[in-house]
Amino acid sequence: MAEVQRSGTTFAGPVELRLPAEPMMSRVLRLAASGVASLSGYSVAEIEDIKIAVSEVLIALIEHGDGNAIDVRLVVDSDAFVVEGVTEVRGPFDLAHPDLRLCRTVLAGVCTDHDIEHIGTMAKITATLRRPFPAG
Amino acid sequence: MSADFTNDSLTIEVDDDGAIIVHGDIDMAGGPLLEGSILQQEGDTPIVIDVHDVFFIDSSGLRSLLDASRRARARGTEVVLRSVGPEVARLLEITGTTGQFVIDGRRG
Repeated sequence: MAEVQRSGTTFAGPVELRLPAEPMMSRVLRLAASGVASLSGYSVAEIEDIKIAVSEVLIALIEHGDGNAIDVRLVVDSDAFVVEGVTEVRGPFDLAHPDLRLCRTVLAGVCTDHDIEHIGTMAKITATLRRPFPAG
Repeated sequence: MSADFTNDSLTIEVDDDGAIIVHGDIDMAGGPLLEGSILQQEGDTPIVIDVHDVFFIDSSGLRSLLDASRRARARGTEVVLRSVGPEVARLLEITGTTGQFVIDGRRG
């Protein structure tokens, strides 16, 4: 991933976080993601979308996961902000659950692409916000 | 008016007219608090939720509002969102759920 240089700040990603599967971590992740995006020169409107995207990734993995820690990776360059969330899910991960559908609707609204996978015991969500972001 | 429900990112008050005033973020942590406050106010009259001081909402917060709307309709009444800011309006538009609520005024 290319190094990003904006506003006198040099920032080389990615940023990786391991979060407990607790609802209060949503705010922590939003703060981290908005900080990373701000350092990388993203606009206020873009950061608002990034905050929604990271929140939806966490909602899906916490509400439909097994309560295991969630590994989040924020990959940023000048063209895209990518959020990857992974957690171990040994039980079912119902991709058709109505609450997950609402998450996907929101992700589709703020992201260029998103993908939810459940392979083996790992559930993974990738959300990509490519510039220009979907119109806000 | 007193702070009836609060956590690190959300404070909920109920005014003398029974309107629920929300300050903060309606997210995965705040949604259940809002839900509890709404349940306490439910009756035959519309539930009024003032969101002028809400600057973030996600799908888990929206679910609390949608559940309240569904219950209100079942009782023959409605949920009124007062002073809706662009952050709340955007999520309603993305999800196509604006019509589930009565919108009473917008925050610029």
